[in-house]
Amino acid sequence: MISAGNLEKRRSAAAARLGKHQARMGYLFVLPTMLLFLIFMVIPVGMALYLSFTNYDVLSKNDWVGLENYTRLLNDNLYWKTFVNVGFYAVVFVPFNLIISLLLAVLLNRAARGVKILRTFYYLPTLTSAVAAATVWLWMLHPEYGLVNGILSMFGIVGPAWTSQTETAMVSIILMTLWQSVGSNMIIYLAGLQGIPDYLYESARLDGASKFDCLRYITWPQLRPTTFLVSTMAIIGALQLFDQAFVLTQGGPANATKTPVYLIYQQGFNQLQMGYASAQAFVLAIAILIFSLISMRINKSEEPIL
Amino acid sequence: MKKAWMMGMAAVLVLAMLAGCGGGGSGASGGKTADGKTVLTLWGDWGGDGQAQIQTMLDAFNKSQDKIQVKYAVQQDVITKFLTSATNGQTPDIVFWDRWRTALYAPKNVLHSVDEYIERDGLNREDFYSEALKELTYQDKLYGLPLTVDTRALFYNKKMLAEAGMEPPKTWDDLETAAKAMTKWNGNKLTTAGMSLGDPGLFSMYIQQAGGSMLTEDNKVNVNTDAGKEVLNFWGRLMNEDKVYKVGFEEGLGEGADAFVTGKVAMLYTGPWMLSTYDKYGKDLEYGIVPPVTGPNGDKGGNMGGFGLVIPQGSKHPDEAWEFIKWWTANKDNALLWAKTSQNIPGFRPAVEDPYFSEDERWKPFLEALEFAKVRPTHPGYSVMEENALIPNLELFLQNKQSVDDTLQKAQTEGDKQLAENATVQ
Repeated sequence: MISAGNLEKRRSAAAARLGKHQARMGYLFVLPTMLLFLIFMVIPVGMALYLSFTNYDVLSKNDWVGLENYTRLLNDNLYWKTFVNVGFYAVVFVPFNLIISLLLAVLLNRAARGVKILRTFYYLPTLTSAVAAATVWLWMLHPEYGLVNGILSMFGIVGPAWTSQTETAMVSIILMTLWQSVGSNMIIYLAGLQGIPDYLYESARLDGASKFDCLRYITWPQLRPTTFLVSTMAIIGALQLFDQAFVLTQGGPANATKTPVYLIYQQGFNQLQMGYASAQAFVLAIAILIFSLISMRINKSEEPIL
Repeated sequence: MKKAWMMGMAAVLVLAMLAGCGGGGSGASGGKTADGKTVLTLWGDWGGDGQAQIQTMLDAFNKSQDKIQVKYAVQQDVITKFLTSATNGQTPDIVFWDRWRTALYAPKNVLHSVDEYIERDGLNREDFYSEALKELTYQDKLYGLPLTVDTRALFYNKKMLAEAGMEPPKTWDDLETAAKAMTKWNGNKLTTAGMSLGDPGLFSMYIQQAGGSMLTEDNKVNVNTDAGKEVLNFWGRLMNEDKVYKVGFEEGLGEGADAFVTGKVAMLYTGPWMLSTYDKYGKDLEYGIVPPVTGPNGDKGGNMGGFGLVIPQGSKHPDEAWEFIKWWTANKDNALLWAKTSQNIPGFRPAVEDPYFSEDERWKPFLEALEFAKVRPTHPGYSVMEENALIPNLELFLQNKQSVDDTLQKAQTEGDKQLAENATVQ
């Protein structure tokens, strides 16, 4: 006869074997991804860090130069100006992006007729290529013949030369990127909204909460993980701004829309100063890390999820 | 066994991904055809019509002899592709080369010098535009031959000029009067700009016309000079007193709605590359072309650009590649065939002396301009200097946000910094 204790032992031994087997298979399954991550992310990042201390030019040189690239970076006024540029961009773009996409999502989160078509319409700009979109925007923002200034002139306002004036060039880029990105963030918010249980609203309503109260005290806190995702992605995207700025204004006028990525590309591929470009890229990566941490802090300080 | 099978799959996957990064032999140097011909690869970034034009030349060359066969491979970003190919030895045999890049690449020892071949085959250097050769030269060594030369000339709308009752301009003063006469405002809306000032990069041309130069002999920025001031005073007059242009006026109009085609701009400096667009979209557009006008003291100035053919150091058949380059760039008939096919001015002077060019009113102003046009200074940091230091300051000036003196002084100091940081240190 087999005692109960024995059976237990046997079972746990079997479970351990099974667990071991599953763990092995698990590692095996993640192996391809991990290898690719190692080959294409970890090793290149490590190499870039090393290269930032060299005068690597791809073709003929690869000598250790110590901190030379970083001291040059400290005095590179243009590089810091590009940080100010994307900083301004982020400060305006990120909050607007959050508010507009959240409002769109709340508006379209109901089972009315035509809602699906509207969702599709708001999402469509995301699918447009940056170059094609920029061409249309350039035309709309034309100082004399553009749609925007045409509408302004109806109210007797002489509109600016949007993309060519230092004051408005970045605003033009913000307008265009907002139009392009609120659609996809709206989708993420929609998914978040659908995960909020109805009973929360129901009980709040019973306690006499207004619609705005529901939005403020239920929807917003419940969406905190979603907001964190959207805002972090938006901050990273803002600091890495490149293609829209490149197509719409080519970094001009007067360097007002040049971005760090633009300079990194220019130094690395046009001027073959890969070592210096790597140093610039590293500083950018650290800046992204810092801003992501700040965003995480701000999110944490909000009230906890119910 | 299942596990072994899984292992195998994973290994295959990883290997496949790795293989994807290597290889990539999109027609690198080497190889022969079945009938013993040496196969050469030419890389360039001309697609579409340009690709067909290049193919015409390759077909003619491949037919002309039975030892060498050349293939053309379009590369969207030819310079980056060339950069990576040069590191792994997979270079093509010939590259369709934007000449100004020579100053940056030749010092890195990735281009094959052609001096020996020129001596051996007895080519006459005088037969080529000397400025174009200068652009392909680094430390007294020549790294290729010029295929095309281009420069800008002044295009004007014939109808508008006739309405204003004027002759095509020859000097800065003429240009100013004509531009002023052709400009039309409707209230505070500009309807016709008399002269395009949309490209501040043309400063390098204007400063030559004012008797100055972009860099000094020892490669320092030379814009904070009397000549530089003349240019900015002239631009300032055109913008603020004569009001012949408005910042951003030509932005975003697109090819079919080009400001010159649609009569929104009466005069502008542009090159032969716009001829086909103007002919295609400008059915009602009658235009004339004159060489760049002369400055206050009668100085002439223009910029020369264009393409050349170079042999990468990694080519396995440099001798054959040279045969091909010589056939295309240093033979009157072939250079002419190329010119007619692609509507480009060849770098080979005997071909340019052909009646096809010398008796055509449309080509004459360009040929005249090419006689005094200069290539951009052959400093590896020159184009970054213009882009990051000079043009931004000029833009501030054109928007009335910076005075003449501040603009030139800043352009000079910031420009010198860019030049120093981007000078190649051997």
